[in-house]
Amino acid sequence: MYATTMDALVQALLDGDQAQAISTTKHLLAAEVAIGQILAEGVEVAMAQLDAKCTIEQFNLLEIMLCGRAVMGIMKELYPPDMPVQPTKAAVVVATLEGDVHDLGKNILKMVLTASSYRVVDCGKDCPVERLIDTVERERPLAVGISGLLTTVMPQVRRVRQRLAERGLSYVKVMAGGAALKQATAENLNVDLVAQSAFDGLHYLEQIVGGGT
Amino acid sequence: MNSLERVIAAVHFQPTDRVPVMPQVFGHAAVLAGVRLGAYLRDGALLARCQLHALAYYAYDAVFALMDVNVETEALGSTLTYHPDQYPSVRSYRLAGAAKLDTLAVPDPQRAGRMPEVLKAARILRQTVGRDVPVVGCVMGPMTLATQLLGIEAALYLAIDHPEQFADLLDFTAEVGMRFGLAQMEAGAHLPIVFDPSASPEVIPPAFYRELVLPRLTRVFTAFKQAGAPINWLHTAGMTTPILSFYPNAGVELANLDFCVDPQQAMQVLPQTCLDGNLKPLLFVEGTPAEVAAESLRLLHLFAHRGGFILSSGCEIPPESQPENIAALVHATRQPR
Ligand code: B12
Repeated sequence: MYATTMDALVQALLDGDQAQAISTTKHLLAAEVAIGQILAEGVEVAMAQLDAKCTIEQFNLLEIMLCGRAVMGIMKELYPPDMPVQPTKAAVVVATLEGDVHDLGKNILKMVLTASSYRVVDCGKDCPVERLIDTVERERPLAVGISGLLTTVMPQVRRVRQRLAERGLSYVKVMAGGAALKQATAENLNVDLVAQSAFDGLHYLEQIVGGGT
Repeated sequence: MNSLERVIAAVHFQPTDRVPVMPQVFGHAAVLAGVRLGAYLRDGALLARCQLHALAYYAYDAVFALMDVNVETEALGSTLTYHPDQYPSVRSYRLAGAAKLDTLAVPDPQRAGRMPEVLKAARILRQTVGRDVPVVGCVMGPMTLATQLLGIEAALYLAIDHPEQFADLLDFTAEVGMRFGLAQMEAGAHLPIVFDPSASPEVIPPAFYRELVLPRLTRVFTAFKQAGAPINWLHTAGMTTPILSFYPNAGVELANLDFCVDPQQAMQVLPQTCLDGNLKPLLFVEGTPAEVAAESLRLLHLFAHRGGFILSSGCEIPPESQPENIAALVHATRQPR
């Protein structure tokens, strides 16, 4: 019974059916299934299937957005706002830098990481590098994820590591992605990773955390 | 042949003295003239002056009365953040939260936001270039304006959760584009380019495009044609191959190809539609004149037999581009065939 409910959750997430996903999650919680188990056997299983389906050539944005929204919905069930700090793998600070308003890619990244139990701190779009660095200093994340669709932000991206180092934050990994940045190399941008997709970023973090593939 | 005649002839697959070249020089015109982008985007007279300066400098075949992708949404009540040297961004979307579509009215282009400045730019450009050079205005396509009123994700979720409401929104945004475009033509623009990046298959599936966007786009282009636009020009950014076949039915006569689109494939799908493109925008920033020349010649060869081609960049030429690279693009069309 519990296994079939978990399957139903995975299916609801893959269907992007938020209402169904929430009601299934409520059932699981009522049956005293642990939150960690819902995440590991429900949410992460759904994300893995979506990851496998979404190759660079065949990338269905709406499908990911709907799944992401359903995941965000059940996260609210699992961790109501009044609940103290949630157990997470690590924090990641994401941003689109000053002058760039393309935030769809960043928001997809946020959903993918949240669904995989990272705590994502979003600096929004059009974000000056200094605000990003201040946020990193406050949040002490494992990594920052910069999304850039305009080539004009490249010089800002190249500055990030240096500014982190000046504040003693060199241990924070820097990931870059989005249509403009993915045309460049990691050396050229002075970052640790240039990701082709949001799942690339996820795989990279999982490697650092040592938790998965 | 002057530029306007050359461009119109190319669009109709008629012989030309040389292939027309229309690099998408928008904000770069400010940088070239030593004017701050933030000022250029708010002052139609300044914009026109910079555009004319760039035209004289490069000697290509069009001028653009075009600011950025936020003019319509600002005129409708969204608030923007301006920067001294970058394009502005939307700070608050007019239809965010619970705001209802029926609280909006189609803005009067003579009054609303920066629309009058765009009209001023069109007027000055036309007074100066007359019938020699195409004066190209710009309106947002229905999908892009919808995403600029709601925010792109909220717009996509609305389309899925409440398709009827979304269809109403697209009817409205098409109406805004029509009215603004017609005002640009009255002010002197020969045609408005329709700019619809958010309708790209990178964002929405082709079936969504066909069912929801295409009918409204058709309405917009029909209105421009009736008002005497010599050319209907559509610009959809990104990997558009899956939707190109829809263009002719919408009345598109000139289709912009972004750098990721294979021009040969586009030619097959659109045998009777003039194409413009498609050098990689980044090449103008980081490439060399020799690379730009080589890429340009490759395209000129590819289209040599077919015709129906205008040499251009795949999308906007980034403001910070190297002038030598744009000059190399223009120069490629001047070489003896
Ligand atoms: C939709 C769109 C818009 C919308 C954006 C709405 C929004 N809120 O995001 C609007 C209409 C506002 C817009 C505006 C403009 N745009 Co635009 N736009 C696009 C378009 C068509 C699609 C972008 C998109 O959303 N893709 C879908 C998302 C999901 O993909 P993605 O961002 O790549 O993200 C994926 C991965 O890359 C990854 N990812 C992304 N970031 C990160 C980060 C990390 C760390 C990781 C791990 C992964 C990751 O995750 C995602 C899923 O896998 C692109 C075309 C293209 N080829 O990308 C042009 C494009 C980005 N735009 C372009 C331009 C020029 C503009 C304008 C400047 C036009 C103008 N003259 O005003 C303005 C910019 C204004 C500004 N200040 O930024 C150019 C940029 C060229 C350049 N100079 O670099 C592009 C590339 C078109 C082109 N070929 O030239 N645009």
